[in-house]
This record gives sequence, C-alpha cells and structure tokens, in this order.
Amino acid sequence: MGWREAWRLSEAPYTEIAFQAIYAIRQGNLPSSTPDEELTEKALRRVTQSKLMVAFVLGLVGIGAYLFLTQRVETALGGGLPRGLYVAGVLDGVLVLELALVWWTGLQILPTFLGSSSMTLLETMPVDERTLDRVGAILVFRLFDAPALSCVVITPLVVAVSLNSPLAGVAMFLGVIAVVSVAIALALLTGRFFVRRIQGARGGGRQSLVRWSYLLLWAIPAFAMYGFVTFSGQYFALVQQLWYYGPAPAFTAFVLSFPFPFALLTASAPTLQGVAPTSTVDPLWALFGSLVYLEAVGALVVWLVRAPRRLVRSTPDAGGVGRAEDLRLVPSRASLAVLVKDLRTASRTPGYAFLILLPLLDAMAIGFWTVVNPANGDTFNLGIAAVATAALLATFFGPAFFAIEVMGYSYARTLPLADHHVLLGKVLLVAIIYLIASGLVLGLTLFRFFDPWLFLAFIAAEFPGVLAASFLELGLLFREARRRGLPIVNLYSGAWIATLVAIPGVLVAAVPLAAFEFLRAGPALVTFPSMGALALLELGLAALFAIGRPGRGAL
Amino acid sequence: MVSSSSSRAPNGLPLRVEALTVRYGAQVAVDQLTFEVRPGEIYGLLGSNGAGKSSTIKAIVGLVPPASGTISVFGMDPIKTPIAVKERIGYVPESTLLFDALTPREFLEYIASVRHLTEAEASERARSYATAFQIESDFERPIATLSNGTRQKVLIAAAFLHQPPLLVLDEPLNNLDPRAVRIMKELLTSYVRHGQRGVLFSTHTLEVAQQLCQRVAILDHGLLRGEGTLEELRQGVQQGDASLEEIFLRLTREEEAVRVAVRSLGG
Repeated sequence: MGWREAWRLSEAPYTEIAFQAIYAIRQGNLPSSTPDEELTEKALRRVTQSKLMVAFVLGLVGIGAYLFLTQRVETALGGGLPRGLYVAGVLDGVLVLELALVWWTGLQILPTFLGSSSMTLLETMPVDERTLDRVGAILVFRLFDAPALSCVVITPLVVAVSLNSPLAGVAMFLGVIAVVSVAIALALLTGRFFVRRIQGARGGGRQSLVRWSYLLLWAIPAFAMYGFVTFSGQYFALVQQLWYYGPAPAFTAFVLSFPFPFALLTASAPTLQGVAPTSTVDPLWALFGSLVYLEAVGALVVWLVRAPRRLVRSTPDAGGVGRAEDLRLVPSRASLAVLVKDLRTASRTPGYAFLILLPLLDAMAIGFWTVVNPANGDTFNLGIAAVATAALLATFFGPAFFAIEVMGYSYARTLPLADHHVLLGKVLLVAIIYLIASGLVLGLTLFRFFDPWLFLAFIAAEFPGVLAASFLELGLLFREARRRGLPIVNLYSGAWIATLVAIPGVLVAAVPLAAFEFLRAGPALVTFPSMGALALLELGLAALFAIGRPGRGAL
Repeated sequence: MVSSSSSRAPNGLPLRVEALTVRYGAQVAVDQLTFEVRPGEIYGLLGSNGAGKSSTIKAIVGLVPPASGTISVFGMDPIKTPIAVKERIGYVPESTLLFDALTPREFLEYIASVRHLTEAEASERARSYATAFQIESDFERPIATLSNGTRQKVLIAAAFLHQPPLLVLDEPLNNLDPRAVRIMKELLTSYVRHGQRGVLFSTHTLEVAQQLCQRVAILDHGLLRGEGTLEELRQGVQQGDASLEEIFLRLTREEEAVRVAVRSLGG
C-alpha cells in the first residue's frame, strides 16, 4: 500500500483527533446533544481555523522580517554591526521564532494526538507495518500542515523580495525546511517525554518539585518565542558584544549554532550575486554548517516517518510501583482545594504549566537582565516594568485557567461546589502568580536596588488591580458558560472567548499602572495611595460583579 | 458540615422522580418517567443500551436539565437547591473519566475538601476502601495510568467517602473484577440498612439486579414498561416462575426479536 492509501486510512483517525481536540470528551466532557455528523464537521472546521490562526501568526513573523531588514530598524537595533551580520541576525531570529512557534504548537496538540487512541483500531486491521507508519506520519503532518506551509512559503518569499535575491529565498527555504523538521521532531520527542515521565509521574512533594522542574524546561520553547520578541534589542547587543569583544571560539560557536548557518547563508546569497556587500564572516562557514545540518535533517525526516506511530503506542511510565504507605487525605477549604487541584493538574499538563510559568520566567529574565547589565542605571523603572508585565501576563492568561475545569467536567458538576469557590480558587492562582513573579523581581533587583520600599508599595498598590482583573474575567466566563449551558471553554474550542474576556481584564489591570505613570512625578505619598485606592475600587466593583450572585453550583 | 448532615437521618424519600422528560434536541431520551426510591431500598433501573437509564441518572445528579417533570431528593429540588442536593448524593458515573492528571489520593483529597470532611474521617474511609478494593499500591499513580477497573474502584470510593444518604450508581459494576463485584454487592446491601439511606442502581445485567434490588423499573426507549418487586412484575406478565430476564424481554417486546437475531446468526 502506498502513500495514497495511507492518506485515505488517515481520514478516520484525523477526524477522531479533531473531535477529541475540540470536545475533550476523553477528558471528561459531556457529549453535546447536537447530532454527531454536525459535531464532527464543526470539530474539523475548528481545527482548521486553529491551524490557520497559527499559520497567520507564522505568516506575520515572516512578513515581520521585511520590516526588520529596512534601514531604519537596522540603525536602531544593529548600529555598528556589518550589514551581512545584521541581516543574518534578523533571519536567525525569524528562524528561531518559527522553530519555537511550531514546537509550541506541537506541545499544545500532541497530548490530544497521543491521548486520542486514534490509531488503535487501525493497528488491529490487516494493514502492513509500513503503511501504518505512514499513516502516523501523515497524521502528524496534517496537524502541522497549515503552519508548516505558512513558514515554508511566506518566509522565503519575503526574504527573496526584501534582499532582492531569489538565491537568498532558496537558502532561506532550506533553512525553514530544516527548522520546521527540527520543531516537529522536538515536539514529538518532548511529547513522548511528556507521556512517559510527566503524565505518569507519581504524587508527593518531591515528585511535584521534579515535575515542575521538567515543566520549566518544557516552557522554554514558548518563552523563547515570547522572549525573542521582548528581548530583540538585547539579542543584537549580544551579537555585537560577541563580534567586538568576544573570543574567536565563542563567536565561531555562535555562527555554527543551529539555525544560524542558514541565516548567514541567506544573508551571504546576495553577495554571491553581487547584490549587496557583505558580511565579514566567511560564507564558507555558513555553507559548511548548512550542509551538515541538512544532512542531519534528512536523517530526521526518515525518523519522523516512523516515530509518530511508536509514540502513539508508548505508555506512561508510572515510575515503578507506588505503594502508598500512609493513605492520608488532608482536606482543605473548597477554594483552596480548587487551587491545589489546578496546580497539581498543571504540574502534569504542559499547556497549563506554561501559562503559570511564563509570567515567572519573564519576571526572572527582566530581573536577571537588570542585575547583569552594568549599563542599566534605572533599576526601579526596570523593576516596575517587570512587575507590570507580570500583572498583565497573569491576568491575560487568567481565563485559560478556567479551562482546567474541562477536565473531569461532567463528574465535577455533580459535586456540591458553589461557583464562587471555583472562582475564588482561580483568582487565588492568578494572585499567587503575580506575587511570586513580583517577589522574584524584588529578590533579583535587591542586588542593585537598595531601597525596596517604593518597589514594595508599587507591588502592593497594583495587587488589587490584578485581583479585580481576574474577578472580571472569570465572572464574564462564568456568565458565558451559564448562558451557553455548555462545558466551559477548552483551549481549542474556546480560545476566542478566552481572548475576548482577557481584553477587559488586561485593561482593568492596566488602569492602576496608567494612574502610576500619570502621577509618578508627584510625591510618593500621593502616587501610591492613589494608585492603590483606584485598584481597590476596581476590585470592589469586579468582585461584586463576579460573586454578587450567590453561588448555586449551576456550572 | 456536610458530613454531619449526611450522617443525620434526613427526612422524606431519598428520591422521587415524577413525570420526568429528558430531551436531546428533538430526541426524547426519557419520557414521563415516574418512580421513587424508598428508605432502606436498592432500586434498579433496567434497560437496554439507549433505554434512558443514564439520562435519568444525569438529570438526577444535575448533569442534564429535565425538559419537564420534577425530581426531589429528600424533599429538595435539585434545580432550586443544587448544592444541598449534591451534598446528599454519592455518584458513580457510567464512564470512568476523571481528573486524569491527579492521583487517586489527590482526587479523593479534592472530593473530601469539596465535601467538607475532616482529615480523620476522610483518611480513615479512604484507607478502608483502598484496602477493601486492593488499590493502595495505585494511590500515588496518576489516574491516567490506571486500568478501567481501578478507576472504577476509585470512583466508588469517592462516592462513598462522605457516606451519603442517597447513592446514585450508573452501571457501578462495570470493569470490576469478581472479587470487587462481590464486595460491592455486600457493601450496598449493608449500606442501605442504616438510617434513611437509599440506592438507585442502573444496570443491564439482570442477574445482578435480581440479586440486589428490592424493586426495579424496566425502561425501554425512554418509557417505563414495568415497575415493582420481582413478584409484582411476575404477576404483571402473568408468569409465576419467570426470571427477571424473561420478564424484561416480555415487557420490552424483545422476545421475538431475540429469536430472529439468534436464528439469523445460525443459532
């Protein structure tokens, strides 16, 4: 049986994956009363929409390269760098972003792929091993198709036009192929790691710590994506430092690190055509590095055809037999129980763990930057910027924590749990993320900032604003869930609702920050109390809106 | 505290369902169903797949809204006082889908918190059920990694954890090994002897229903075809020595269909 037959056989498992991704029935959602055919069509449509959304973002990344290659941005970011090196830096950034985005997409969808048992039935059919391998590969390809095509088509085209060089487009095309292949392979490998080690990890304090450490590693691709946008200035500063001051081996290692050779090869292509003067780095390095990586990518593609099926068949490793010596249950207040349940769930679910870790990673990155950058004189301003970002990120992701309720949803609805307990549990989670992120910034900046009281006042004054934003977002989501009478949003089916709800939330969190900016020229005794009072007023109104109606357990 | 309210003998019938109708769009899953579970009684809901057993149970535990009719749990309306009703119910769902990312210990701790149990009573009961069902060694493994049988045992432990006055069990013996089935039968029989407790039990295994239930309701395509004790049902079909299986096939008018199916399969 050939690839055509494998494609035909992949239709049913693909539909199953789409169905599971959207309705999360295997995670405990109730099936809808809508006819099955309609549900299936809707699921396929929504999966396509989600893929197109990611493809659109990736397309924007590709188009963004054009802006970065203009003279004006170059002067701002790469002043002093040779043109070729600056272009290579930009293209490297684009490739890294694409790698991170495709990898991150994989992290989001692969748990559904793995948990759907989509190939189980096919495995029992009289279909040869090779065809089954191909079906697995096709399924993975179909999950990534639109995003991958967006990278492969748009980015090389934009680069060819920007550098006025078709050859540069061809070089970038090779780079994108390599990057997408590596991203999918990383997604599969981390997916397998997730199934075997994280999903199956035992309970208990020490194990929880280990799980969160793993998840911190897991969050890196997502943070790389976000961090690259946030820290692009610092990235070019690093390239400059390596260029001017760095020892030769460090610079060579940087030039040869994946995927820089492709970026450098692309930047050098116009030189070969005599279009633009160049990089001061020998293009032969780029050619050599690219060829080596292309060879490796070839082997990777062969592996990719076989790996998905094996991955689907891999089972969780429960870490040996866990004999509970002491079956001790420690019940807590209902809201706290919701919070603990969410943290435990997130510790075995990378998608949620990422939402918790991103604000913390961001705070750590900015705090760390503040400490190590001797050129930075205004620690206070950087510190409050970090806290403000943590507040906005925590509130932006708040609605997504609601989606944890999808897990075991049909069962959870039979428990005597009032709405306000669930809501308070979620608000607590957002509050904790904000406080830990702020604490991290405070801790790191203490090395350079010896008068933390103003900084503490800022954190405290913004805190009610963060709570207000969470109450508002979750209150809106509860109302929406009641209105629709549906299993609340999950990350796939309800992404739009979550985003729409997050916008007013972020605005509410931003109001005290704006008030601070407006009043900061005045005395601290006026600025911080005013900011805090405004935030408290917001909190009062939002809490009234969210829990004003008595909880009836109607969700 | 729920634990105290649960242990206190509540007033009224454990469960009364009157003229209940459940619809999924245009499809009527349950049609004008009326029955009651009395104190000290194990009441069986019997029916083929799609007869409306699970839909009835989902309406009782608040998972699907009734299109019409009323439900009363110890005199309380689940629509008006959902929390109070849910506090008095222990539920085992048909599917074993739980919080897959949690371990059984974490899951039961969550249930104990939501049901306001003390550490001592929660721990002691969890230990008892874990030991009885031999799942101690699985208590620290994520539910995602457990077999369906073990998941079912965890669900049963969760349903009994607060010692509710009404147990609503949807195919509770599914996936259980013979030892666990035996324990479960003994457990249910002794459970309803205390206080005003009642059990609603759905199954399509008629032998089990005949052994366990004092009264049964036979559902077919959402309609109640017969109700009562085995003797009352025998009288209904005018066959004094009929087994529950024979009564079931007679009332659901499936006898001839079964014969035709067996014949067509070469039997």
